[in-house]
Amino acid sequence: MTTYLYEKDLVPQKYRILVAYRHDILVRQIATELDIPVQELRRYLIEHFDMILLENLPARVEMADAHADQDDPVALVLGREKYTLYLQIMSGAAMESIFHAVSDRVRAGTAMEDAIAYGRERIREELRR
Amino acid sequence: MKRTVDVNIPLGPIHPCFKEPARLKCEAKGERIVGAEVELGYMKKGIERIMKGRPWQEVMFLAERVCGICSVIHNMVFIEAMEQISGISVPPRAAYLRVIVNELDRMQSHLLANFSYCYTIEHETLGMYLLDLREQVMDQLERLTGARVTCAYIIPGGVRCDIPRNDAELLQASLDRIERDLRRYSGMFAEGPMIALRSRGVGILTQEAAQRAHVVGPTARASGITADCRLNHPTYRQLGFVPVSRTDCDNFARVMVRFDEVFQSIGLIRKCLQDLPAGVIRGGGVCKAGETRYSGEAPRGELTYFIKSDEFGRIVDIQIQTPSIMNIEACCHEMIIGADSIADVTSTFVSADPCIACTER
Repeated sequence: MTTYLYEKDLVPQKYRILVAYRHDILVRQIATELDIPVQELRRYLIEHFDMILLENLPARVEMADAHADQDDPVALVLGREKYTLYLQIMSGAAMESIFHAVSDRVRAGTAMEDAIAYGRERIREELRR
Repeated sequence: MKRTVDVNIPLGPIHPCFKEPARLKCEAKGERIVGAEVELGYMKKGIERIMKGRPWQEVMFLAERVCGICSVIHNMVFIEAMEQISGISVPPRAAYLRVIVNELDRMQSHLLANFSYCYTIEHETLGMYLLDLREQVMDQLERLTGARVTCAYIIPGGVRCDIPRNDAELLQASLDRIERDLRRYSGMFAEGPMIALRSRGVGILTQEAAQRAHVVGPTARASGITADCRLNHPTYRQLGFVPVSRTDCDNFARVMVRFDEVFQSIGLIRKCLQDLPAGVIRGGGVCKAGETRYSGEAPRGELTYFIKSDEFGRIVDIQIQTPSIMNIEACCHEMIIGADSIADVTSTFVSADPCIACTER
């Protein structure tokens, strides 16, 4: 988004949304899943999401848990649809590249945990870019 | 040579078509919308924070002040959540009276939403007709509960007052009049060629996108999702409730679903009046300690209360998930993206019946 002149600083308000009861549980859960500090994830969300998307995060996670990546175990663990279509914290193209790399490793005989750990590392790199 | 440039169009916080302040920052390429952001915080009440540590007798009145349009359902969901925590049962007559008041509230909310839409697309005549009908519904709500908004009608274990025979007859007569007039007005909307130009095929929300954003209420049901919390409510099940839905996924479908639901509410109220059980309207009970998640169907969709109470019935922790949070998010990130005209942004936004008071709570 283009920045406007005389724009209000929304960081404190976005922070208040993220530390509300359900949001806090959710953010900590995602931070644990991705193995990144909570503060770093909060900053990422504040910088990339608008207020209404932040408000709607718990509902989106509920829907992702119920419907996303039901047919592929690698996609489910990696959060292929969860992090792109539902939570929108990274682009679909980047996730597809990570998912294919992880799937290739699993097919080549790498242990599932190691392949997923590699995928998570790539996701962290993507978020820090 | 003509050049296409990116234009940023801020709508609001004060806008003639918005009932409440919100700021939409739209990014357009020519007339086509390619991105939008929502900025809130113009009417934050902090009501959840105010509720914490207070007894349920105070929180009950605070809950219905979350929203001035759908105050009955906030009252109902909070009280039914406390009843669930405390194991309080409701007399059958009171359960039916709750449905009558809740459906009257839904009728006035839907009529107001459709008025707003007609006003936004410059069809003020039809809008005023709908507002006139809404006033008749508000009169019935006032006759039954004693107030137009913030009625505090529903209490743990029952309702505050019964419906006298005379009031029931007046309500029946009023429903007949409203149904007759609304059939004409909904027909005007459904068949108006200029209305169709502004509404059909505009603000498309696919079923998949609606599901991803957890869209609820008439906005979801206009995209072919038949989810409705009333399906899980025991009194509505007794009444044989079946949700209405459409698959057009556009502004027109959302408005028509609301018209259909008003007719459905009229039918439900008639059935309640006809089968109204005899007996007491207050069963009594004591609010206790516990924790629960309870959802009810507000006029805009699923309204959820997460409540934790102590042994004295004081609210230790509470969070309210209002339907407008999900609907506004989907509206701004799915429905208005790709709109062919800036004029369609306001009409699409209003078609989702956004309630900023609920969202900001």
